Order: sequence, then structure tokens, then C-alpha cells
Amino acid sequence: MNRQLAHLSDEALVALAARSEQSALAELYDRYGRTAYGLALRILRDQALAEDAVQEAFLTIWRTAARFVPERGKASTWILTLVHRRAVDAVRREQRRRADSLERAAEPTVEGVEEDAWLRLQRERVQAALRNLPDAQREALELAYYGGFSQSELAERLGQPLGTIKSRMFTGLSRLREQLGEPGTEISWTSTT
Amino acid sequence: MDLHDLTAAYALDALDPDEAEAYERHLGQCEDCREQLAGLGESAAALAYGVVAPSPPPELRASILDAAAAERTNVVPLLRHRWVARGLGVAAAAVACVVVGLVVASSRSGQRQVFTVVVDRNGSATMSVTGLAAAPQGKTYEAWVIPKKGGARPAGLFHGGPSTSMHLDGRVPPNATIAVTVERAGGVGKPTTTPIFSTPT
Repeated sequence: MNRQLAHLSDEALVALAARSEQSALAELYDRYGRTAYGLALRILRDQALAEDAVQEAFLTIWRTAARFVPERGKASTWILTLVHRRAVDAVRREQRRRADSLERAAEPTVEGVEEDAWLRLQRERVQAALRNLPDAQREALELAYYGGFSQSELAERLGQPLGTIKSRMFTGLSRLREQLGEPGTEISWTSTT
Repeated sequence: MDLHDLTAAYALDALDPDEAEAYERHLGQCEDCREQLAGLGESAAALAYGVVAPSPPPELRASILDAAAAERTNVVPLLRHRWVARGLGVAAAAVACVVVGLVVASSRSGQRQVFTVVVDRNGSATMSVTGLAAAPQGKTYEAWVIPKKGGARPAGLFHGGPSTSMHLDGRVPPNATIAVTVERAGGVGKPTTTPIFSTPT
């Protein structure tokens, strides 16, 4: 595979994509496609829907790359946010997980997957950080982020006031940030292939 | 509803659509929330790495890149000033009642221009244009219908600006091309400059 742009930063690739440089989009896919697909699959639990969500997200990157502002955040955050939003929109549209129990939405999936070594390290790190959170905060983050439940759905299903759900999300994300935030261990990209 | 409280839920995509919209409006006016969202958004995105990620099917990569290339086909005539534009899959495949030519281009300044042409079964056409700078002093944009055989026919004048929508004069015959040029104010009978946009229908 042609990886002539492998030396460029994510942000430089987004700038090239904004100028219709297709190889830049390909390189971004090679860096984030696997994580994007894994996330979409976790949320949607359906390969075809997950592929659609990833495709839509990368086409959104392609269409709106010119509007990305590097000063406001990392390109990887922007990309994964787009993927997440697409997957959550789809799961709500499909109403797929409405019948699912909360427990199912929170459980890890996919057995027997051949995992990329670097991605496995990142996964273990994020999962360890999640385990260090109080149960109620971890539950709120997992159900919202991986389950696609809205805060009002969570309040109803968990039988808690909305304010409690909001504060669990806020405190949970803030603590996660502290845990993952040590300098020098920033989560970075890896190849899909 | 206190919008400041919604940052974490927004970062997790856990707001209902109307709440998300209200929060986004608020974000435009609240520097504190923008700053907070930058941090919480990064933590939320890190959760993407918390799942076991199998390889996506190999076709997905090609599918994305093909679709991306199809969307930018007509960037070529804009950037290289060539008259001939290659067809869009959508337009070529459209035997149904509506033909849509959609062109997304970026000018050198990075301004995004979107030209959309919709032609109904009777050949009646509407063109909408967004992101095109207003025509310079003494100039106008002129739309053209170019039949498969024969010369270009004037189809209307417009001035550009953030958003324009116009009905194209006359009927658009099958397989015609729609183009836009910059001409002197008042319009001309035949195009005298290279199109800034053209698409087959």
C-alpha cells in the first residue's frame, strides 16, 4: 500500500483533504479506519450499519475538511467524534438497541478478533482508566458512549434524576481525562493494515 | 435548562436533537463552554479506543475513496480551467424523474462552493449555489444550457453571494450540460470565459 504521506501529521492530512487530495483521505482512513469501525460496530452491533456509519463519517471529513480548525482540537478527536455521531444517529434511527437491555449495551463484544498490538495497548489503557472510575460514573459513560443512550433515556432507565446523570457524566469524563492525560502517553494513530 | 451543564452530555452525543441544537447555539457565545468541550471532547473520543476493534472489510476503504472521488469530479474544471467536465455517477444513472448534478469545489482561498442542479422530467431546472463570492464590479454570473449538439444557450444571470437559488430559463434537453461563467454586467449571448462550474445532467 502506498504510504507516501505517512510522515505527515493528522492535521496536515486534513488540510490536504480540504484541497481535494485523495491520498490524504486514504491515509487518514489507514490511521483511523479500524478504530472507527470497531467503535461503530460496538454501538450498532451490525456490520453493514457499521460500515455505512464509517463511510458517512469519512465522507463528512472529505466534505468539511476545510472547516476543521486545528486550534480548537486534535484532528483525531474530530474524526472519532464524527464517527461516533454517525453511529449514534444510526442506532437511534434504527431503534436497534431499544429492545436491548442496559447490560447488553455495556458489555464488551467481539470474541476471537485478531487485535492489532498497538490498539490492544490503547484499549487496555482506556479500559483500565474506566475501571478506576466509581461504578455509577463508569456506567453512565459506557451507556451513553457505547450504548447511544441519551441523558434523558438514561435518567428514565436508571431511575435517577436527570441532574444526577449529568453530574455522573461530567465527573466521569473529567476523571477519565485526568487518568489518560499524563504527558507522553498520548493516544496516537496506527495503521489499519 | 442550564446550557452550561450540557457539555459532558454533548461530548458523549447524549443529548436529544433539540437540546444539542440549543447547546451548539450557546457554544457560539460561551468561551468557557468551548474550552471545557475541547477537553471533555478529547476524553470522550479516547473512549473509542476502549473497544476491541476487528479489521473492517477491505472493500470499505475502496468504497469510501471511490465515493469521495465521485463527489469531487468537477473540481478539475474549476482548478485547471478545463471546459469539459466528467459525468457524475448520480447524474448518468438517473433515468428517473429527477436528475441531480451536485458539485462541491473549493476555491483557492479555501471557500467551499456547492452547486446543485435539479432537472425534473420535463426539463425544467433549478440551480442553487452556495459559497460563491459576489460577482466583481461590472460583472455578473451567467448560467448556460449546452445541448449535446449545438451552442450554449443563456439560462439566466445571478450575482453570487452566500446563497443563490434560481430557475434556469428554458427547457434542459436530455444529456445537456449546465455551466456558469463570469460575464460583463447585463449578460452576453455566448459564453466568453472559461466556466467556473459545469456539470452534465
